[in-house]
Amino acid sequence: MKKVIAGLIISLAATASLAWADGKVEVFTTVRYDQFIIYQSLAFFWVGIAGLLVIIRMKLKEIERIQKLGLDKKEEDAPFLE
Amino acid sequence: MKLPYSLVNRRTFLNGLFGGWLLAFFSGSLYALFKFAFPTLGKEPDFVVLKAADYLDIAPNSTKAFAWGGKVGLFFKKTDGTMMAIKGVCSHMDCNVVYKPLDRKFYCACHKGWFDDTGRNIEGPPPKPLEIFVYTIEEEKLIVARKGVKVELPKA
Amino acid sequence: MNFLRLKDWFSERYDLGDLKKMAGEKLVPVHRYEFLYYTGGITLFLFVLQFVTGMILSFYYVPHPEHAHKSIIEIVTKLNLGWFFRSFHHWGAQLLMVFVFIHLFGTLLTKSYRKPREFLWFSGLILLGITIFFGLSGYLLLWDERALAAVKVATGGSGAFPVIGHFLMAFLRGGIDVTGETLIRFYAFHVAVLPLLTLFLIGFHVLLVQYHGMSVPLSVEKEGYTHVPFFPNVLYKDLAIWLVVLGTVATLAVFLPPEIGVKADPLAPTPENIKPEWYFLFLFQTLKLFPGEILGLNGETIALMLIAGAILFLFLLPLFDKKTSRGEKSPLFTWIGIAYVAYFVIMTIVGYLS
Repeated sequence: MKKVIAGLIISLAATASLAWADGKVEVFTTVRYDQFIIYQSLAFFWVGIAGLLVIIRMKLKEIERIQKLGLDKKEEDAPFLE
Repeated sequence: MKLPYSLVNRRTFLNGLFGGWLLAFFSGSLYALFKFAFPTLGKEPDFVVLKAADYLDIAPNSTKAFAWGGKVGLFFKKTDGTMMAIKGVCSHMDCNVVYKPLDRKFYCACHKGWFDDTGRNIEGPPPKPLEIFVYTIEEEKLIVARKGVKVELPKA
Repeated sequence: MNFLRLKDWFSERYDLGDLKKMAGEKLVPVHRYEFLYYTGGITLFLFVLQFVTGMILSFYYVPHPEHAHKSIIEIVTKLNLGWFFRSFHHWGAQLLMVFVFIHLFGTLLTKSYRKPREFLWFSGLILLGITIFFGLSGYLLLWDERALAAVKVATGGSGAFPVIGHFLMAFLRGGIDVTGETLIRFYAFHVAVLPLLTLFLIGFHVLLVQYHGMSVPLSVEKEGYTHVPFFPNVLYKDLAIWLVVLGTVATLAVFLPPEIGVKADPLAPTPENIKPEWYFLFLFQTLKLFPGEILGLNGETIALMLIAGAILFLFLLPLFDKKTSRGEKSPLFTWIGIAYVAYFVIMTIVGYLS
């Protein structure tokens, strides 16, 4: 098992160095763990956006409700309470 | 105590939720931007040059530290005499690791992480293996380099 | 409370009530083409994203032919999140180009350019030209062999213009050929000249929109329509759309990071089957249609003259389209608009597939 893993690591390193020699630049990480972290962050980012979208929708509904009731127009000659 | 009416009306609740969420969302996004804007201080080197005599003769099943930029690198000789150069920094939270000759494993004291003698993470929180360097010997120089980096020695 | 005191301090000096009233009075029409109103906002938002990411990329980019390519590789491989923000800048530019064209074609087909909004149309078309030049100059900064070849072709095309062609080409290239001089010149365009022009023109463009209000298509004007206040209803919808755009750019940036080719070498042969960026394809494809020589004249020159004529006609369209300005239907210009859109779409697709 250890030999297999060591072989894998060596062959991976060999292909990586080959890719380097080829002039290809690694524009995205090839490390599994880092990839996972990136995808996870992207998912969290979308969760943040989705949450904001839901809140904006709720706010819009609330605004439209108030506009329908006519509560958003301030009365010009309303007496001051204080 | 139960109030007959709510102190928070629909509008203030929504405003608070909206403001809070916006703050969290944008501070997260801006954090990423700032991380890019401010580079890590003390960039890691691509390679370091050491004196070969100091490192090649260490006892089997032991390590000797060298400076990898501002971090620690470990030159390691296994029990069978094969040698490797490892970055002595845990992949979890960047603590320095130590070699335990009795267990033949690397140990990180911060969160009890273990790596075997090939640098593989085997126990505890570390998510990735230790970074392994490539080393070459040129006369009396021992050159330790990051994988895939072409070493260009400055002309003396 | 300190916040209230700050507000008082401010309102003693500036009357915020007027501003609030103005914001409250801005109305946006509601009708079946209203989605076109959002394309301008999306374009603006993408410009902001490009400004922010571009500023930080310029912290690390080295505008020198020896170091440019290497500095981008450093950004992508070594810096914190450098790969992401370079990719983000790339995809932001692509989407920006898409929405600029949608915004243009929407305005063209709904005839929003008609009296009294001629200056909105003029400033918009100049901004389109600037945006395309932004794309071209930014593409060269990568300084790999494909970028070099693409810029050679694009600036070489301008050399075929009669009379001013060679002067124009030399000005763009900073010499007879595309060299390191061109790189530095394009860098200056990309980070100093164009952003300042863009800021000024966008300010002018947006100010004019506030002055004239939103345009309503003639057909809708006859049917009648309702209004909603810009603040807060439409602003919230704008915000929602911007968030989706932001997420889309980030997602594209993660899944499709652009490649970095081999470092440019002005002496090396041009790599095979290079293609310009997609927003140049319709021009590229048009040039291909013309033979090398027509009746003893240079075919490329004739093609360029035709393209320049078509662009000039588009630019001056509000002045030719008198019927729409009077509020009458003008099917001729509807067809002209459709022809422009169809030509762009078809030629882009043909160029992409060939």
